[in-house]
Amino acid sequence: MGEVKLLGVWKKFEDVTAVKDITLEVKDGEFMILLGPSGCGKTTTLRMISGLEEPTKGQIYIGEKLVADPEKGIFVPPKDRDIAMVFQSYALYPHMTVYDNIAFPLKLRKISKQEIDIRVKEVAEMLGLTELLKRKPRELSGGQRQRVALGRAIIRRPHVFLMDEPLSNLDAKLRVRMRAELKKLQRQLGVTTIYVTHDQVEAMTMGDKIAVMNAGVLQQVGTPEEIYNRPANMFVAGFIGSPPMNFLNGTLTEGGFVDFGPFKLRLLKDQFALLQEKGYVGKNLVLGIRPEDIYDGSLAQERASENNMTRATVEIVENLGGERIVYLSAEDISFTAKFPPESKVKEGQKIEIVFDMKKIHIFDKNTKKAIF
Amino acid sequence: MNIPKYKLKEFIISNSIAWILGVIWLIPFVGVLMASIRPYREIVGGWWHFSPFTITLKNFVGAFNHPMFPIGEGLRNSLIIAIPSTITPLLVAALAAYAFARYSFPVKHYLFAFIVFLMALPQQMTIVPLYFLLRNFHLLNKFQGLILVHSAWGLAWIIFFMRNYFSMLPTDVEEAARIDGASDFKIFYKIVLPMALPGLISAAILQFTWVWSDFFLALVFLQNPEKYVATQRLPLLRGQYFVDWGILTAASIMVMLVPLLVYTLFQKYYISGMIGWSTEK
Repeated sequence: MGEVKLLGVWKKFEDVTAVKDITLEVKDGEFMILLGPSGCGKTTTLRMISGLEEPTKGQIYIGEKLVADPEKGIFVPPKDRDIAMVFQSYALYPHMTVYDNIAFPLKLRKISKQEIDIRVKEVAEMLGLTELLKRKPRELSGGQRQRVALGRAIIRRPHVFLMDEPLSNLDAKLRVRMRAELKKLQRQLGVTTIYVTHDQVEAMTMGDKIAVMNAGVLQQVGTPEEIYNRPANMFVAGFIGSPPMNFLNGTLTEGGFVDFGPFKLRLLKDQFALLQEKGYVGKNLVLGIRPEDIYDGSLAQERASENNMTRATVEIVENLGGERIVYLSAEDISFTAKFPPESKVKEGQKIEIVFDMKKIHIFDKNTKKAIF
Repeated sequence: MNIPKYKLKEFIISNSIAWILGVIWLIPFVGVLMASIRPYREIVGGWWHFSPFTITLKNFVGAFNHPMFPIGEGLRNSLIIAIPSTITPLLVAALAAYAFARYSFPVKHYLFAFIVFLMALPQQMTIVPLYFLLRNFHLLNKFQGLILVHSAWGLAWIIFFMRNYFSMLPTDVEEAARIDGASDFKIFYKIVLPMALPGLISAAILQFTWVWSDFFLALVFLQNPEKYVATQRLPLLRGQYFVDWGILTAASIMVMLVPLLVYTLFQKYYISGMIGWSTEK
C-alpha cells in the first residue's frame, strides 16, 4: 500500500549536506507536510522519495518495496515507484493540449484509447477542466494550470502523491481556495500525500501531520496541534505561529521564579517541580510564550496576580481589525502580544500585562530543546 | 498615426536614418532585379535609365536552361546536397547536445570545449586532408562526399547551439515526464524536441543557408560540370568575352530566392530560436 518510510537518509551534493539522517514514516492515506524555510532540504527529501535524486546513504521504502538503498546498490527509477508528482511550476507539457497533458502518463503505460478517454473525462469533470480540454497550457490561468497538473497526477491512481509547493505560484485568494480543494480531494481519493511547503498556514490547515525541517535536519514530526502546542525545540516554536513566539532569557530562582532582570514570573508548582528535578535551579533558561498568551491587564484582571504580571511600555500597535498586534518593551526586553480589538492601548502608554503561565514553554538555553 | 509634437523631431530623424540606410542597402539588389527583368539593350547603359522599360522573363528562362551550365540543374544539385546536409547533422547534433546539456559523464567539459574549439577552424586548413580522405573513400566528385563534409562541418556549431538551447529549457518538465513514466529516449523525442522546435528550426535555417551558399567546398570536391551546384555555375555564366548581365542577374536572383524563401517561411521560429547563441545557463 501507500506507506512511505525513510530510514537514516542522507543526501550530499559535493561539499553541501542537504539532508542529514532523516527517519520519517508516512502512513497509508496520510497527508504529511514537509515544512521548513527555503534551503532546509525539504524539496531534496521529496525528490529522493520521487526518485529524481539518489540518496547518499539510508533506505527509502514505498509500500513494502525498498526503492533506494545505495549500500545495496538498489535504486528504482521514478517510473517504477508508482508515485505522481505536482511541481511548483506545474511543469505542464507546453506543446500538448490539456487533454494530452492529462492523458500522457496513461499513454506511456499503453492503456487503450477508450479507457484513456473515459479516465481523462472523469478527472476533468472532477477538477472542472471539461471545458478546457482542447486548450494549450499557455492559454490557461495559473489556477487552471495548477488543476491540470493535479489532473495529470490523479489520473494514474498512484500510491503516493508528491507535491512540491504546488500553491506558491497562485495569488493569495486562489491559494486559500485551492488549499481547501486540495485537502478535500486528498480525503476523497485517500492517497498518501507528501506535501512540501514553507508556508506554515498551509501546513497547519492541510496536514494530518507536519514534519518540520531545518538545515537538513528533521526537527519534529507531529500533528499540527502537537507542533503548535508542544514544539520540540526553539526552532519549531519560532517557526510556527504568526507573529512568532516570544523568547525571554531568564534565570530560575530557588523560589520558583524566572528572573528576567526587569521583572519576574512565578512558575506553576508542577512546572517548577519538573525543572527542580532536572537541576535547572540557579541556571539560565529560555521562557517561550506565544503573543496570544499575553493579555492586556485591563481586560484580564481576573487572571492577574502579582506572580504573572508586569508593567511594559507600548512601542507600536498594529491594528489588523480583528486583533491588534502590540510591540511591548520592559527595559531592554521586548516582546509581542496579540490583543483583542477591545483593547484600547496606545503607543507610548505604560500598561500592565498578564502572562498565561499555563501556556508557557521552557527551553534549555544551550541545547535549545524544549523541557516542556 | 498620431505622433505627439515633442516627439516629431525624434521621429523624423530616426526614420530618415533608417530609410537612408535601407535604400543604400537595397540599391544593389534593385540593380540586380532591374537587369534581370529587362532586355539587355535597355540596361547596358545603366539600369537607372527607365525609358524604355520592358519587362521580360527571357533572362530567367535563358539562365534556367543555359546551354553550358543550366542553373535549373544547379538548383537541383544544390537541393540534393543542402537538404541531407541540414537534416543529418541536426539529428546527430541534437542527440549529442542533449547529452551535453543534461547528463554528466567523464571529460564532458573538455569534450565540449574541444567542440567549441573546432568551430574556430578555417575550412581552408582542412581542405587538403579532406580531399585525400574523400579520395580514399572514393567519395570525390560525388554528392555523398560533399554531404558528409557539410554534415561533419555543421556538427560542431549545431552541438554548441543546441546545447545552449536545451540548457535553457526548464528541467522540471522533463522530470515530470520521467515521473509520468517516460524513458530517456521518449523524454527526448516526445517532450524535449517539440519544446526545442524554434531552436531546431533556427539551426536548420542557418545550416541550410550556409550549405546552399557554399562555393569553396563544392569547388574542391565536385569536378564534374554536371554535378556543379548553383553557386558554382554562377561565375561560369559570365562567358569569356561577353558578359550577359541579364542572364547573370536572373541566375543570381534564382539562387538567392531559395534561402530567402526559407527565411520568410520560418521567420517566426527563427527569431525566437536565436536564443541558442546565448551561453547563459
